Amino acid sequence: MRVLPRVFITGVGVVSSIGLGKRAFFSALEAGRSGISPVGQFDVSQLGRQLAGEVKAFEPSDHLTQAETRRMGRCSMMALAAARMAVEDAALPAEQLAGPRTAVVLGTTMGEAQLLGDLEREWIVNGPRAVRPSLIPRYGSTLLPIHVARALGARGMVLTLPAACAAGNYAIGFAADMIRAGRADVVVTGAAELLQELQYAGFVRLAAMAPEKCQPFDLNRQGLLLGEGAGLLVLESEEHAVRRGANAIAEVGGYGLSCDAYHITRPHPDAAGSIAAMRAAIERSGISPADVDFINAHGTGTKHNDAAESKVVREVFGGRRVPISSMKSMLGHCMGAASALEAIGCVFTLESGVYPPNINYETPDPECEVDVVANVARRGSADIVINNSLAFGGYNAVAVFARPGVLPEPQAVA
Amino acid sequence: MNPHAITGIGVASTLGTGRTAFLESMRDGAKASVTDGRAEVPGFDPTKYLGDKGLRGLDRLTKLLIVAAREALHDAGLKEDGSWSARGGDDVGIVVSNAYGSLEAITELDRVSILEDARYINPSRFPLTVANSAAGYASIWEDIRAANVSVSDGNCGGLDGAACADVLLAQKRARAVLVCGAEAMSDALHLAFQRLGAVGSRAGRAQTDTKAFLGEGAAVLVLEPSGLARERSSDVMAELVGYGTAFEAPPREASLLHASSDALQRAIAEALSDAGASPADVDVVVSGVSGLRVFDEAELVAIGRALGGDRCVLAPKLALGETLGGGGTFGMLSALAVLREAPRAPTPYAVRGALRTTPRTALVTSMGYYGNASAVVMRAAAR
Repeated sequence: MRVLPRVFITGVGVVSSIGLGKRAFFSALEAGRSGISPVGQFDVSQLGRQLAGEVKAFEPSDHLTQAETRRMGRCSMMALAAARMAVEDAALPAEQLAGPRTAVVLGTTMGEAQLLGDLEREWIVNGPRAVRPSLIPRYGSTLLPIHVARALGARGMVLTLPAACAAGNYAIGFAADMIRAGRADVVVTGAAELLQELQYAGFVRLAAMAPEKCQPFDLNRQGLLLGEGAGLLVLESEEHAVRRGANAIAEVGGYGLSCDAYHITRPHPDAAGSIAAMRAAIERSGISPADVDFINAHGTGTKHNDAAESKVVREVFGGRRVPISSMKSMLGHCMGAASALEAIGCVFTLESGVYPPNINYETPDPECEVDVVANVARRGSADIVINNSLAFGGYNAVAVFARPGVLPEPQAVA
Repeated sequence: MNPHAITGIGVASTLGTGRTAFLESMRDGAKASVTDGRAEVPGFDPTKYLGDKGLRGLDRLTKLLIVAAREALHDAGLKEDGSWSARGGDDVGIVVSNAYGSLEAITELDRVSILEDARYINPSRFPLTVANSAAGYASIWEDIRAANVSVSDGNCGGLDGAACADVLLAQKRARAVLVCGAEAMSDALHLAFQRLGAVGSRAGRAQTDTKAFLGEGAAVLVLEPSGLARERSSDVMAELVGYGTAFEAPPREASLLHASSDALQRAIAEALSDAGASPADVDVVVSGVSGLRVFDEAELVAIGRALGGDRCVLAPKLALGETLGGGGTFGMLSALAVLREAPRAPTPYAVRGALRTTPRTALVTSMGYYGNASAVVMRAAAR
């Protein structure tokens, strides 16, 4: 069996509604702080809902140059700010980061959707001649990794994976594969998403949005709340990290993918695809379900999702009650950025031994018979954790993260 | 990369729908019919391929993609009469490159939201606005379950999608992968390119025009590890054997758009190295030259630097139109057409040189608009 390089996480960066930067984010996670507040970026007064996990403290000029802010939209700004934080956290010198062996692989759902909304408004309200040509090239999710690569001097692959709510896990998994395949030494990866008007209205019209709070796994859960943010990570091959004396804060294990091929917005009721993805992630990490200490859930707070996810956990872990928690109870559903921020939540758990709480949990649901970390953070063993994500389009992506060196040596699949 | 066999194709293009129509058009040097800088798939009628049921709620992008995906699955012998005949849904994955999603659906909902009230947007159309919607529907319609990956990398997405498929196959996440590129015509897309002064009114000639024309369509290749394809006695149409990609930032701080010869030159070198090939092995280049002078010139410079100036360079986009996220996949289909059957003389779509012998190795290139570039190497199937 061919042994593959280990892939380490050496730095993380966060732009979120509960804190900017790793330390603020980690401390808010431990405290169970809610980032939900009234939407301020656009008018939601007619929609019957008013809350979201909006990032209010983010000031682009604190993180970006004037030239950078001029050429990019807010989603790219958040991604670049988080990337810079991650690189700083990794203590990765610019000269070691720059070059053709560094890639940038990012996930999102809609990228610069707000810019597209602005362009459409100009067209629809004032006619085709009102559309500003200078704005057009700034739209496109292609641009997220381009902006980051440009700022960091990365000259390898630039790739956007718009895998909806599983985009973070997709990007991190694919980035790790790039390193294992020898195509890159360093990959700056993760995902970013911004709150946008059409998306907000769409979820209201789908009757998927909760009126007040997001209550994953609770009997009386009423849906999701939207959020926004960016979570970026620096991934390095073990050789690269060791050579420069980097501090590996976590290891990327295996990941599992599948597609339900059932319904565009709802998970398959038998959850076969999600179960297969979770089992694949565990198997590809060279471990068994008994080795998993904690699950960072997808946990959107919708009836369908949480019931299906609970079923997956029961199927994969049998009678064993693995602690599980959804960060969306605090952040809202940050769509494309969600599983990247949750991957960073996994890093927090591995580093601290703290399982972040699933806040707003009041009444157990017999359909969600799992060990919810209710309302208050819990301490426990934290060598190996799972990050679960299920997405629009039937996408399932599950990733395993571990303390460095805990997992068996990765091997090519026979 | 380990060689991957191309065992089937499916296509809905501005030159026609279906494998036969596409390959014959390529051989004959056909050109799309262009009106006001845009060309559409002529007479596209999805009911002919998918039946009447369930199409009403879908957008054009999704229909184009599903028609091409279904044809490719049947062409590869993975399906027969709509059912799996070799492999199954758990063994097959799909990678879809698309640059701009369903602008048709986004504009439709934006119109309601802006002119009336956001409360009145049609919730059944909302899922179409999400970037991976077409890919998700393709999985649902064709029962593709091993993995579903969406790629948004502009002009490079088609070739980068092939790299994603390579990862899925190399990691044994799937035994066959549909590599898809799709883009649908919409008023919003056309307007954007018009406002940028990038589209002209007719098919162009590289380096003489400064405008391209927009096309649309879906192109699909079925990739299987060559060993597995042989095991099930597939008809191997060609092989994908190498991939490379690179990014170079614009030299000026204020710039965003950037045509980088350096990036493409590096991508070509990496693709050749990945394929274990030398520049001399390349018989023909299928470029992304589309009629946009700055990008065309940079692409031809890179190809000349990487391979020498004497190589035959084709530009099928001058006939098919610029299909953006679909462009690289259409490039691979065009390369397959050239490798599979020698085109008539003079070489159709040649913007430099001419084919002297039946080509055995093709290089496909894509230039992004922002300094990124990708390349793949394809080889003719052993006869």
